[in-house]
Amino acid sequence: MSDVARTTEVAAVDSPALVKPQRKVKARSTRAMIDRYQWYEVVALYAGIAVFLFFVLAPFIEGFLVSLKPLAQLFSTPYSFIPKNGSFDAYFNMWNSVPLLGLYIFNSFFISTIVTLIVVAVVVPAAYAFARFNFAGAGLLLGMFLAVNMFSGAVLLIPLFRLMRGLGLLNTYFAMIVPGAAFLIPSSIWLLRTYMLRIPRELDEAAWVDGASRLYTLRRVILPLAMPGIVVVAIMTFIGAYAQQFIFALTFNSKSEFMPLPVGLFAFFGKQEVQWNELMAASFVGILPVMVVIVFLQRYLVAGLTAGAVKQ
Amino acid sequence: MSQLSLKHLEKSFNDARIIKGIDLEVSEGEFVVFVGPSGCGKSTLLRMIAGLEDVSEGEIAISGKVVNDLPPVQRGIAMVFQSYALYPHMSVYENIAFPLRVEKLPQPEVDKRVGAAAKVLQLESRLQHRPGQLSGGQRQRVAIGRAIVRQPKIFLFDEPLSNLDAALRSEMRIELMELHKRLGSTMIYVTHDQVEAMTMADKIVVLDAGTIAQVGSPLDLYHRPDNIFVAGFIGSPKMNFINGRVRAANGSTVVVDLGQLGIIELPRTSTSVAGQDVTLGIRPEHLKLGAGQFTLTITPNIVEQLGIHSITYATLPGGEAFTGLFEGNPDLVDGKPIELSFPIASAHLFDSKGLAVY
Ligand SMILES: Nc1ncnc2c1ncn2[C@@H]1O[C@H](COP(=O)(O)OP(=O)(O)OP(=O)(O)O)[C@@H](O)[C@H]1O
Ligand SMILES: [Mg+2]
Repeated sequence: MSDVARTTEVAAVDSPALVKPQRKVKARSTRAMIDRYQWYEVVALYAGIAVFLFFVLAPFIEGFLVSLKPLAQLFSTPYSFIPKNGSFDAYFNMWNSVPLLGLYIFNSFFISTIVTLIVVAVVVPAAYAFARFNFAGAGLLLGMFLAVNMFSGAVLLIPLFRLMRGLGLLNTYFAMIVPGAAFLIPSSIWLLRTYMLRIPRELDEAAWVDGASRLYTLRRVILPLAMPGIVVVAIMTFIGAYAQQFIFALTFNSKSEFMPLPVGLFAFFGKQEVQWNELMAASFVGILPVMVVIVFLQRYLVAGLTAGAVKQ
Repeated sequence: MSQLSLKHLEKSFNDARIIKGIDLEVSEGEFVVFVGPSGCGKSTLLRMIAGLEDVSEGEIAISGKVVNDLPPVQRGIAMVFQSYALYPHMSVYENIAFPLRVEKLPQPEVDKRVGAAAKVLQLESRLQHRPGQLSGGQRQRVAIGRAIVRQPKIFLFDEPLSNLDAALRSEMRIELMELHKRLGSTMIYVTHDQVEAMTMADKIVVLDAGTIAQVGSPLDLYHRPDNIFVAGFIGSPKMNFINGRVRAANGSTVVVDLGQLGIIELPRTSTSVAGQDVTLGIRPEHLKLGAGQFTLTITPNIVEQLGIHSITYATLPGGEAFTGLFEGNPDLVDGKPIELSFPIASAHLFDSKGLAVY
């Protein structure tokens, strides 16, 4: 308002001859100076990203292309990457060639979900304890957790097998859930503990002074602030559980109705030939639930949640 | 009866004795300031009163009841932290209401108390904001609001203004003093800023390495410091100290030889200082330009002109730093010797142990 008034005033004073032609002003970028790039820099940036992405995604691309090809084309020479008369037939036929496929996918999802729930339920209080309480042996325990992580599950398969047999857990869902959760808990405790250490201790003390119990503080103050950390733990656990079920399922389970997808995929290995295209199609459909879970959880990954807690 | 009483209070962390026997009485409605250099144990003492640190030795009593083993909430205290310690994921309203939610008060009562606190602290238009969206001063007020709603007997403040800029700090200082008047509750306030201590306190407690150096009203400490530590700590710029030796002490006067500066005769009844090495103290603001009761000549090496007054820095023949503070803008130049003087009555004398001699 006042700006407009001033401009008209100036225009009235200046004689028209003296008024300079207005310079063309480029639309003002909303970016900070440090974030502005020349066009060739932008091109270089995207080219770099494209190369990197291609490198990472190439197996997936090839897998997807394979799933579109008819089986005969897979063994043709010269090999062609681009499918000729490609179709989504494999995505429909696979359900018939392996009738239990739907169950396998469900099992995978189910086992990973239960493992994730168990891990989160155990890790949150444990990480809080390791972050906030000084108890004897805390350092030793944390060290042991790291050490456990150095053994992969594969090294411990034989003792685990005997253990499972002793407990009568072979050929049940538990055979895949229990060791899965056990191997994922230690690293998650480390991760979440580090995250919780970054929440200022004064917040606990302020709540304590105001009469809140430890559990009340955990629920009302710590959990909401640690949510991004918890989500990261949940995502990592879910993916980890998805990836590692193969080895546990193969060793501890022989019932096909409990099999997760990675083992179930063997059903595509026929007596004479392997249904590569359907195998690939099933793999992609199997990954879908993981994608859905990640996209869903990602919304809770809010950064900078602790802004304004204490003076910096 | 005093509201808060500390008896032989001690605190050790492992082997390190941090609080070394504190005795203190605070009466109801008093504004008490703990002041002292960094690391002297102010926060530790406050946290012991709050119930955040265990007591190693001694006793804390609030309203006549020993509270050593009570959790903070049962002591009737509320604390405002050095870092505001606001809950960043909650609105200003929920931050202030937090203690009431813990108590499970009914919503209308919560509304009433939060509303009242917000009104006192001028936060009414901010209640739905998050702490991250507030300025430093507003965050500070939210932290105070959270303390007010509990209606505590004693407020504890740990350097609440230390990270604010100078203008905001003096503004908040006045707001806090008004708040103290309005609420009439006891307040214990920790700071290392002696200006805050002087302006806000009814009673200042000067701490030195875990012991009380002196307790008294601000003017008491300014005019009659008990020891050289308090004398040097209270007042800005710092008191000047000049080393000397007592020539004679006859029960009515003490004659001190200040070396090249000459001899000064002070009215003191003490005779025990005869022959001792002593320290003469004189505040920069008690110096006058020109000759007087005790006159000396200095050559300032730096002159600061602040408009309202001028400050000179010099080194005495004996090697002591010497600061002068003069009203207005007298004609002072670096390197040009000036003659100045002070009245005998404004000189302080400390014996070889650093205790004031009267
Ligand atoms: N938890 C603790 N464990 C060990 N030593 C501690 C602990 N807390 C404080 N101290 C020690 O106690 C001494 C006093 O600390 P305190 O925080 O009370 O100082 P302060 O007077 O508040 O200083 P400042 O003005 O810098 O805040 C310091 O030397 C500190 O190292
Ligand atoms: Mg402190």
